Amino acid sequence: MDLRYMVKELWYRKRRTLTATIGLAVGMAILITMNALSSAYTEAARMPLKEIGADITVQRAGDVPEDLTGPVFACSAVTIRKNDIDQIRTLPGVQGFAQALLVWVFDADRFTIVLGLDPSNPSGPGVLRSQVTDGKFLEKGKKQALVEASFAKNFNLKTGDTVMVAGKAYPVAGIVDASRATKIAVAHIYLPLEEAQKMAATSKQVQAVSPFGKDDANILFIKAAPGQIDALARSIKDILGDKASVATPASFLKQLGSLFALSDKFSMVTSLIAVLVTLLIVLKTMAANLTERAGEIGILKAIGWSNGNVVSQIVGESTLQCFIGGILGLLFAILAASALGFMHVSIPIPWEMSPTPHFLPGGGDPVFRTLRLPVHISWQLAAFAIILSSLIGAVIGAFLSRRIARIKPSEVLRYE
Amino acid sequence: MNNHNIISATDLNKNFDSLQVVKGVNLDVKKGGFVSIVGKSGSGKTTLLSLLSGLERPSSGRVTLNGRDITDSSENELALFRRDTVGFIFQSFHLIPTLSAWENVALPLFPIKIHIEKRKERALELLRQMEMEHRADHRPSMLSGGEKQRVAIARALINNPKIIFADEPTGNLDSATGEAIMDILKSLHADKGLSLVMVTHDLDLAESSDRIVRMQDGEVLS
Repeated sequence: MDLRYMVKELWYRKRRTLTATIGLAVGMAILITMNALSSAYTEAARMPLKEIGADITVQRAGDVPEDLTGPVFACSAVTIRKNDIDQIRTLPGVQGFAQALLVWVFDADRFTIVLGLDPSNPSGPGVLRSQVTDGKFLEKGKKQALVEASFAKNFNLKTGDTVMVAGKAYPVAGIVDASRATKIAVAHIYLPLEEAQKMAATSKQVQAVSPFGKDDANILFIKAAPGQIDALARSIKDILGDKASVATPASFLKQLGSLFALSDKFSMVTSLIAVLVTLLIVLKTMAANLTERAGEIGILKAIGWSNGNVVSQIVGESTLQCFIGGILGLLFAILAASALGFMHVSIPIPWEMSPTPHFLPGGGDPVFRTLRLPVHISWQLAAFAIILSSLIGAVIGAFLSRRIARIKPSEVLRYE
Repeated sequence: MNNHNIISATDLNKNFDSLQVVKGVNLDVKKGGFVSIVGKSGSGKTTLLSLLSGLERPSSGRVTLNGRDITDSSENELALFRRDTVGFIFQSFHLIPTLSAWENVALPLFPIKIHIEKRKERALELLRQMEMEHRADHRPSMLSGGEKQRVAIARALINNPKIIFADEPTGNLDSATGEAIMDILKSLHADKGLSLVMVTHDLDLAESSDRIVRMQDGEVLS
């Protein structure tokens, strides 16, 4: 095959080259964009959990507290026993693990959402460390509190003050701004886990509804090994039973309800249609091109080109043309992805994961995490599209040229 | 076969379905000879040229070209044989419209692994001989009929052929240009000793050759 001849054929037969190249480019752009969009929704669905340093959160549903006084558990987050916690912690595929305790505290003068966390654990609510705006993060073993910024403002609390929770005083170690965080596992006041556990263990209301030991918890945060999330979620449900509420990126994807989010099958079917239409466009254009060039091919054979020489020249031409189409398609897709990147997506947070009681004013409102759709074209997707384009060119070139290469030069010359 | 013959055709017949286009032709062409095949349109002269040059296979009979019996050769064997042995000149020039003059000249060498500079050098040398070097980078659409035919002659010579087959080489040219092209062909025969088989319906042109073969209804009359 001769590159100079290939390039000149493509360059001087501009109309056909453009038809085939742009047709293929549009098809490839659709394929790349659809897949990038589908990945973007999947990535967006990961964000709420990713922002709290986990791939999976685990809660267990229970009974509604009978009397809303003092510390109580939300009915969506009741006791998870220590032995169950230990069993989950050692499941295969668990790469990171944190436990926390969410407690609603109904004091006489105010309602407080309290979250007990392990300050030394970077997973789960430990990610709040980076959102401390004043003072310090909690320290393990120290009886102190971290106060959410808007709560601190409402109740005029500052670092160094003392805050009362369920009748106990805690020095305020710092202020944390969790307003931009996912509305999961956010609280008004954060305490060391042991303090919250003591608070729950000594609460009659808690013990009446959901017996609680001092080493139990009610929310687990798990980082899973790549590809292990769904298997791990199933194992956790097996341990905790039907009432377990196990949230994974897939659960958020379901909440999104978008066609892209509903299934990979949608993007696969759309991509397949795009590739098939592309294939037909390239096939039709190239077939017309070769019919037009039958005389030229007859001459090539008359002056000594073998069937193989003709086939390799045409295959080279169509591969080069489709390779260029693939590159152009990638550029179109990059433009489309940049435009789609301005779109916002609101991910609904399931009510059971919201820490706010739904019976309080505004507590029953739907909670969303809104973020910009993270549309990125991975290099693997880009490479796949370009390789696929070139392959389409090679296969169509080979298919069409095998027939036309068998043309007899004398037949062409006779009719010319 | 006589060693002095470059072509030897024996009892050649060619049928297209029920139509017999060439009937029992026996023809020898001497090495370095110049033979014109003349006849009216439809007399079978172009088909005979195709049979003699290996572009077409006979329905029966045999053809020996440059010492090789090509009758039963495969398509690919014939293609390679043509590339090494034969040059073609056509009435409609048959240049590739997307390639420049020098690239058209070098076209038979494209499948061969030769450095592009050498390929170009050889093509330019032949264009120089055809007084066409100044048009080397022009595409066929920018050339006159006579210039196109000069490029086509250069292309026919690129592989140092033993024989040239020319099918109505002046058929699409005005008389002055046609004469100039004929002068080139005659000089190739006279000066370089190339064998030449030319199909024409113009008896005046045929007069330039060593021998005239007349055809009528697929048969050779003389």
